[in-house]
Amino acid sequence: MSHEVHVPSWPGVVASLALVAIALAIVARARLRITRELLVAVVRAGVQLIAVGALLLAIFRYAGLPGAFAWAAVMVVIAGQVAGRRGSGVPRSRVAATAGLATGGGATLLALVVLDVIPAQARVVVPVAGMIIGGSMQAAGLALRRVRDAVTSGRPAIEARLSLGLTAREAFAPHTRDALHTALLPVIDSTKVVGLITLPGAMTGLILGGVEPLTAIRYQIVVMYMMLAAAAVSAYVTTRFAEAALFDDAHRLRT
Amino acid sequence: MGRTRAVTFVLEAAGVRRGDTVILEDITATIRSGRCTVIAGPSGAGKSTLLRLLNRMLDPTTGRVLLDGTPLAALDVLALRRRVGLVAQQPTLLTDAVLDDLRVGRPDLTEEEARSLLAETGLPPAFAERPTAGLSGGEAQRVCLARTLALRPEVLLLDEPTSALDRASAEAIEGVVNDLRAAGGTAVLVSHDTGQARRLADDVLVLRDGRLAEQGPPEDVDYLRAVASP
Repeated sequence: MSHEVHVPSWPGVVASLALVAIALAIVARARLRITRELLVAVVRAGVQLIAVGALLLAIFRYAGLPGAFAWAAVMVVIAGQVAGRRGSGVPRSRVAATAGLATGGGATLLALVVLDVIPAQARVVVPVAGMIIGGSMQAAGLALRRVRDAVTSGRPAIEARLSLGLTAREAFAPHTRDALHTALLPVIDSTKVVGLITLPGAMTGLILGGVEPLTAIRYQIVVMYMMLAAAAVSAYVTTRFAEAALFDDAHRLRT
Repeated sequence: MGRTRAVTFVLEAAGVRRGDTVILEDITATIRSGRCTVIAGPSGAGKSTLLRLLNRMLDPTTGRVLLDGTPLAALDVLALRRRVGLVAQQPTLLTDAVLDDLRVGRPDLTEEEARSLLAETGLPPAFAERPTAGLSGGEAQRVCLARTLALRPEVLLLDEPTSALDRASAEAIEGVVNDLRAAGGTAVLVSHDTGQARRLADDVLVLRDGRLAEQGPPEDVDYLRAVASP
């Protein structure tokens, strides 16, 4: 890039701590009793980002593309734990979420690289993978939450269908549809209003970095489309895994 | 119900445990075809659990259940559930329209067949066009029964089918049981209603604390004692 990129200097970062002082003052004045939590969050954000920055630097310099994919795999595992927690009560929900994210994220990332939409460079693959996996994590988590709700409140209906000789998959089909529907609504909505209501991350970053808006939007368009695909595949695979774990071989709910 | 075949269940020392809790223990009994077997006992005695053993919504943790000499576990479970229809205690409608509900287990059901199924359960044929929202408890229960009858099951398992039902619904359901029995089918029902049990039962199984406390023809069973809590 030939543009001059202007980012805050380290003294500038330290100066921004003054803004934290404002937040602290409000919290203290209103006696919200979350001063400690706020301070922990501030320190955590700083430490986490410095660590990630250093790690990314190391990956870009020394580990190259294999390192980037390895880091993406780590992201899948972490996101799988987070999304899986949304389905606590569903057997092996973390496995389901991890499998879904690996499939959805992996397929989308691979398609982008193979089709040469994004260059096969570590410094591109890592942030793109982050966006894909972050979005898919939300979709997989929502799907799992709906699956869990279906088992708690939909049990009589599921058992009524099973008693009519339907297979587990048939008996659960209305709930599968509902879970996927719920999982995909946020990403569809945000795709609809992109640019109008939100100026999303990739585009904002490029514009901040000095890229022409009409160039920046090309990136954003690709990002939105890949997020849709990744969320759809992740939610679908997660739901299928969860469904398989819910029923036993005799087409009955396990729990 | 012309194509009903004889279906006899044999329970051999069947028991169900969940963790440390014993739900059913050492149940040995025969449920014969062409007859109506009533399962009686105080609430929490394991009556519904016993019913669920017969269509494999549950497997015994000890002992086994045989159908015409074959262990249930050796049969195709989906085919078994179509032969052994279970109507749950709480009527649960699955779709927005009565006709669609009747078609859940039988997608090829014609409107003509639907109307005749509804008539069997004492509902007017025009009910097929009704939305499922706004049905009374008794109407919903009868639609659920018709939905199961759509599979032409050889065995009907009814879990307290007439608790909280109006007189007409209760009589219609008893009529279905009598027709099935007359056709050589097998009816098993959990009932708290002593009058109904006397009218329908050929055999009675009395459960108490998960154990078979009494079994025999209804005239030999003390109903008041059977349903009373210990």
